[in-house]
Amino acid sequence: MIRYILTRFLRAFITIVLVVTFAFVVLRLSGDPATIILGPEAPPEAIAAFRKSWGLDQPVLVQYIQYFAAIFQGDLGMSMRDGRPALELVMERIPATLALTLPALMLKLAMGVPAGVYAALHQGTAFDRAVMVAAVMGFAVPSFVLALGLVLVFAVNLGWLPSGGRDTIWHAILPIVTLGLGGAAALARFTRSAMLEVLGQHYIRTASSKGLAWAVVVRSHALPNAAIPTVTLIGFLVGSLIAGAIVVESVFSWPGVGRLMVVAVANRDLAVVQCILLLVATTMVTSNLIVDFLYGALDPRLRHGARANA
Amino acid sequence: MLITRRNTLRLGAAAAGSLALPRLSLAQGNRPSITIAVQKIVNSNTLDVLREQSNVGERVFFGSIWESLIGRNLRDQLEAQPMLATEWKRIDDQTVELKLREGVRFHNGDEMTAEDVAFTFSRERMFGNTEPKNRSTIKAFETIPTPRPGKELPPEVPAVARRAWPDLARVDIIDKYTVRFINATPDVTLEGRLLRYGSDIMSRRGWEESASYLEWARKPVTTGPYKVERFTPDTELLLVSHDDYWGGLPPLQSIRFVEVPEVASRVNGLLSGEYDFACDIPPDLIGEIESNASFEVQGGTILNHRLTVFDKNHAQLVDPRVRRALTHSIDRQAIVDSLWAGRTVVPAGLQWPYYDDMFHADWTVPEFNPELAASLLKEAGYKGDPIPYRLLNNYYTNQVATAQILVEMWKAVGLNVQIESKENWAQIMERGETRAIRDWSNSAPFNDPVSSIVNQHGPNGQQQQIGEWTNAEMNELCLFLETSMDRPARRKAFRRMLEICEREDPAFTVLHQNATFTAKSKAIKWQASPAFAMDFGPGNFAV
Repeated sequence: MIRYILTRFLRAFITIVLVVTFAFVVLRLSGDPATIILGPEAPPEAIAAFRKSWGLDQPVLVQYIQYFAAIFQGDLGMSMRDGRPALELVMERIPATLALTLPALMLKLAMGVPAGVYAALHQGTAFDRAVMVAAVMGFAVPSFVLALGLVLVFAVNLGWLPSGGRDTIWHAILPIVTLGLGGAAALARFTRSAMLEVLGQHYIRTASSKGLAWAVVVRSHALPNAAIPTVTLIGFLVGSLIAGAIVVESVFSWPGVGRLMVVAVANRDLAVVQCILLLVATTMVTSNLIVDFLYGALDPRLRHGARANA
Repeated sequence: MLITRRNTLRLGAAAAGSLALPRLSLAQGNRPSITIAVQKIVNSNTLDVLREQSNVGERVFFGSIWESLIGRNLRDQLEAQPMLATEWKRIDDQTVELKLREGVRFHNGDEMTAEDVAFTFSRERMFGNTEPKNRSTIKAFETIPTPRPGKELPPEVPAVARRAWPDLARVDIIDKYTVRFINATPDVTLEGRLLRYGSDIMSRRGWEESASYLEWARKPVTTGPYKVERFTPDTELLLVSHDDYWGGLPPLQSIRFVEVPEVASRVNGLLSGEYDFACDIPPDLIGEIESNASFEVQGGTILNHRLTVFDKNHAQLVDPRVRRALTHSIDRQAIVDSLWAGRTVVPAGLQWPYYDDMFHADWTVPEFNPELAASLLKEAGYKGDPIPYRLLNNYYTNQVATAQILVEMWKAVGLNVQIESKENWAQIMERGETRAIRDWSNSAPFNDPVSSIVNQHGPNGQQQQIGEWTNAEMNELCLFLETSMDRPARRKAFRRMLEICEREDPAFTVLHQNATFTAKSKAIKWQASPAFAMDFGPGNFAV
């Protein structure tokens, strides 16, 4: 088991290093931040001065070594646009993003899992078909279209809710609903499929034929076994809490990490982009680690398998 | 019905009729506060005119916060007018003396004096350790102060300042309300440089009391009609009235700029009454917005021309006849009519009427003459080899559509131009065999060709610095234009420069004048300026 855990941690670390390295190389090979930040009409001497002051005139390998040396000292670099530590900028934005993504995650779970379970238990009924139609639509409609549709109805036509910004709690409703509906649709589909597969298993029929109440069969035998693919998806959703609202934040002018990411990429604000990617990669990897460990808790066979491998 | 931006907005506009009256919030004293949705507040995340050399900065804060000694008349044709200086005169070819307006109050309550003006043009604030190009004639600034920790200027600030004032030697304080700007060389453009953005006056005490450059640059203490109350980069900028403004009480209690990157979101917010103004409206949406009788779109041409730029080192473009063919095969008016709904113009080449006596009214862009273009290609022996065209995705309004039209126009005369999509300016400018044609624009920060054709296409301009184009005669003329005081000779030299750059050895060709559009409720009485700047000064806002 210890070896299993250590292996997972090592893989997670390597993944993070690779993500950050990839971002570092791609960002530096795809455009000079000086030209991008100062604009196309900037005097050449201003561009030269900017490049020198930020070390962009150094070879990429030298920059790479300096970057990693700094990371291991806890320094994630300074924003070229802002002149402040990149980590400070990102941390300022995280509460705004979590203010959307956490309630949206709750909404996804509250809508998607029960809808998927109920649809599976009532396969072929009108409710099942309605859930599947809604789920397909939730998958198929891009979030920016859904967002604009909601704005059109609730902000422009009805005037009930604001169309963008982050001034009051009302400003959060449409972005949360936009994020929540898409995720709920995915969760409903995953949960329904997993439940249907489990409900067709022999042990469900055996448990039922032993005389157990159907509710007990579902709660004690079907749900835990159907939870694994759903937990996988939930793990992904949790992992994307920090950077999972890029489009929605742009449409609703919500000043979160997603918008910071868009602006930083567009301006090649290298330290900020790398800082966000590092945090996102760390969150995603950590979330996957937790999911891996949860597998063992949910399914003893996986736990035993890991022990057998150890 | 397809769900498109246009359809979405059409539905919204139809539904918004009952919501069209502006929901201006009235503060104490009955002056309204407004909210303006812009695509971008600033690029540099500061409110320093020398760091934020951009169109968005000009729109959002240059005119509302900052003021220069000589101003531009934003309510007419941008002609020079007294601003913080009431009068000025030439002492000699290198010196201008200005009388400062008395009783001008900074946002911190201090009176503006010659001390503040001299400090604005100091090494500590502007020039760092840069030197005038010709410092041997006059010894510039006796000592170079060591910046206090945290007060170091970003490296691009002295570079931009020195580009704006290449030969400024010093500013002398004659008395409390009189200053002299002394140049190291004769310069006919000194008055023009005084009205350009970047020459705006700041409070010395305001600078000295700030803990760092960044703290100051987020809330500069200046003289404009509005002062900074709150600035959250990439999110919002709240300006409030500077009640002691020398030009009278500003008409608005506050102006809140909010960053709304999506055009559909800006328009939806306008229609639903959340925003009072929505900026950066694409021309193709003007008709949709104005289909609602309660709204209108204002704006028009600005001091910026869209160019197509050539790399004369590219194998297919070495022969100037091929570049000339490129310029003669463009039906510019068709682009203006189809993509801009006729709301901009094809200008008289790379110049603006506000150049005054330097403006050549009889000059035109190369005529649209496909036969001539085909003939030039034949003479040049062009065999149809591909010519790359590096293109950004709508950095400029209508950029991609314009490029696609250009490619078809060029194809019609036998030119094989192939679009290569790029992500950013660094990729566009990158040297290499695939650099041949690209897009650009050119502004005129002050009323002389030195500010535009020399600045971008001269020997120190970016086009030559990145190795796209050069011309020995052009470079000699640039030097002459920068240093000569003989206005008729300068006018003649400028004419020759236009002939070289636009006709004989094309460095670029002008497509059309740029334009910017702002949507608002008709109930708001406000007049857009012929510039990016939004003027909310006394007398230009009423409901």
